[in-house]
Amino acid sequence: MTKKSEAKEAEEKLIVGIDLGTSRSAISASNGKSMWVDSYVGWPKDFIARKVVGNSILFGKDALEHRLSLDLYRPLKNGVIKEGTTRDEEAVKELIHHLISLVKPKKDNSKVRAVVGVPAESFKVNKVAIRKAVSDFAESLLVVSEPFAIAYGVNALDNAMVIDIGAGTIDFCIMHGTVPTDEDQRTVLSAGDYIDQQLYNFMAERYPHSDFNLNMVRRFKEEFSFIGDPERAVKVNIPVDGRPTKHDITEEMRRTCESILPAVVETTLELIAKFDPEYQDVIRQNIILAGGGSQIRGIDKYLENVLSEYGKAKVEVVEDPLFCGANGALSLAMDMPEDYWTEV
Amino acid sequence: MTPRNAADTVRLKNTILRGVYNENLRIKSPCPDPSSGRRRKGGSRTALVFSGLFVLAATVLFVRFFPSMAPDGGGEPAAVASAAASSVSAVPAKASVSPLPTNGSFPVRQGSYVMRPYDSLPKDFNTDRLLDYSLILNNDMVRLSSVFGLDVQTIVIDPGHGGVDPGAIGVLGTKEKDIVLDLAHRLRDKLMESGRYNVVLTREGDTTMSLAERVEFANSGRTDLFISLHVNALPQKRANVIETYYYGPPTDAETLRLAEQENRGSGILTRDFANMIRKIGNTFKEQESASLAAAIQYSLFTNVKKYDKDTSDAGIKIAPFAVLLGVDAPSVLVEVSCISKKQEELKLNLPAYREEITSFIAEGTTRYLARRNLHVVKGEENDQKVRGKRS
Repeated sequence: MTKKSEAKEAEEKLIVGIDLGTSRSAISASNGKSMWVDSYVGWPKDFIARKVVGNSILFGKDALEHRLSLDLYRPLKNGVIKEGTTRDEEAVKELIHHLISLVKPKKDNSKVRAVVGVPAESFKVNKVAIRKAVSDFAESLLVVSEPFAIAYGVNALDNAMVIDIGAGTIDFCIMHGTVPTDEDQRTVLSAGDYIDQQLYNFMAERYPHSDFNLNMVRRFKEEFSFIGDPERAVKVNIPVDGRPTKHDITEEMRRTCESILPAVVETTLELIAKFDPEYQDVIRQNIILAGGGSQIRGIDKYLENVLSEYGKAKVEVVEDPLFCGANGALSLAMDMPEDYWTEV
Repeated sequence: MTPRNAADTVRLKNTILRGVYNENLRIKSPCPDPSSGRRRKGGSRTALVFSGLFVLAATVLFVRFFPSMAPDGGGEPAAVASAAASSVSAVPAKASVSPLPTNGSFPVRQGSYVMRPYDSLPKDFNTDRLLDYSLILNNDMVRLSSVFGLDVQTIVIDPGHGGVDPGAIGVLGTKEKDIVLDLAHRLRDKLMESGRYNVVLTREGDTTMSLAERVEFANSGRTDLFISLHVNALPQKRANVIETYYYGPPTDAETLRLAEQENRGSGILTRDFANMIRKIGNTFKEQESASLAAAIQYSLFTNVKKYDKDTSDAGIKIAPFAVLLGVDAPSVLVEVSCISKKQEELKLNLPAYREEITSFIAEGTTRYLARRNLHVVKGEENDQKVRGKRS
């Protein structure tokens, strides 16, 4: 194939940005489509189950709904591909395939170009594993760190800091006009999943006779999470002996949401303190919160207050926490010069 | 500064895009498929054994024929040769698989201290003592833990390095701090399973922690056991060495001298009592540390060896690590693996392998704890059992 025809083909090529998350994965494509799924993959347990669910593999909400008849996998636990079990790797592969098929026209069999966001500080071997998983569906592919993709998406390329509070990890990244190195990034392992578990434990302690599971707890969190003073009491419906009953979980909710704050504050301060002293002030006024955790009510104000003790501070929450990673990856992919694609 | 105009932004974006491209090239290129790596290693291993043996033979010949030119200035050429030979004969199994100890540059660790190579130890120093677990595993010296019926409740696990200090870094970019943190979390879960012990970590996440802070952390709580996890990095890129340290006086000769000095004069004065208590404390700590170190090293090495025959056993060592000295409770430092070996680094990145390693450490620890309980609970009856086993 000549260079010319290659270039021509590239014009029609679909470009996608993918955000592989522990809890949700999102994709944005150059044809304007964007989709997300819960990061669950399930295979029917047996042939009866297969008949019931009517499919050989299920994703996202469907998989979660039918979880009793499925072998359910959440392949990106802690934000990285769980290696060791082939099923998990397969699940990641299927998940990516599913995401791409969601945005790609059905008849189009060509491969796509993809930029995939992975957690900052994820092991290099993991990046390799993700490359492997995507390579079947993508002709060329770039792996970038997740907070970096977000920063690129919101155009915070210089003297800014991104805090991406996900389910498996909280990723921190300082941008200073170049690709962030390892020193500019940190990962804290207690994030959304940790909150779920804590909240579950606290609730189980207070309401030992009520029946609820981790999944319900996560729903409560996503709806009611807050930090500081509650706007109103958090009351949720939980069955007790089969009868739906209102439970007050205000205090539990506050305690769990606030439990991640010390780590966030400490890491933020540490990263800023390590940065060039001349620019520390600028960075403190240019902090961007992303990820599901950025939706915790009052977290931006809290961080702003704490950081204000060190000087003027400004914390912003991204507009679209669900897609900001994928969109950032996509805009990075769109800006990527043609030459660079051919090599990778 | 924040870019002011469009041209600046474009330039900025261009540098960033180039950076992304370069980084991806780097990820893509130098990482061999682990399986193909293993195949290649098989060939080079035999070559290495041969070259190792060759070096040894050359040294012996050299010393024998040119004694005046021997590297130490010719003082004791025979002793050098015999020391080299005896270090091999003491560990025959090792010599046949591992090319390591023959050239005499063995356990040099990067950084703060240097362990002496085997063959430069004083002549009267018995290297067997360090390598022979059975001596410590089955020793019947009076153990203070059993005398006083001491139990273990809280175990502190200390993942080394962290935060700004990445520890050793492998060629593929794997950092010691990440590996040991993961191992620590797994080990905690494993040890907690029994429900009998309270297990805490010195650092839960990737945070910077000085040695002094770790010591303070361990001493402020009710620490009964302290296990520090590290990953080795050696200048010998092909070596995978497992070793376990506990704090103690550097050599045996010194212990003897110390004991002599301490025992001089018969009567113990009242004012010496505090000192004596301290000494008992030290003895207790040393006994338990040594025995824990032996248990962990034994189960870790024998199990890892099944996976990788090239693994060498550096045994239980006594070294002046600050953490080990500072912590009041019995404490050990385990170098679980060697990140400077590429194959090993790849394996360490696999959760399954980390899980495996953790289970070996946990096994060693529980074995130690079980033994300790045995001593306390069964008393004489157990003594007989141990004796029976030995004979």
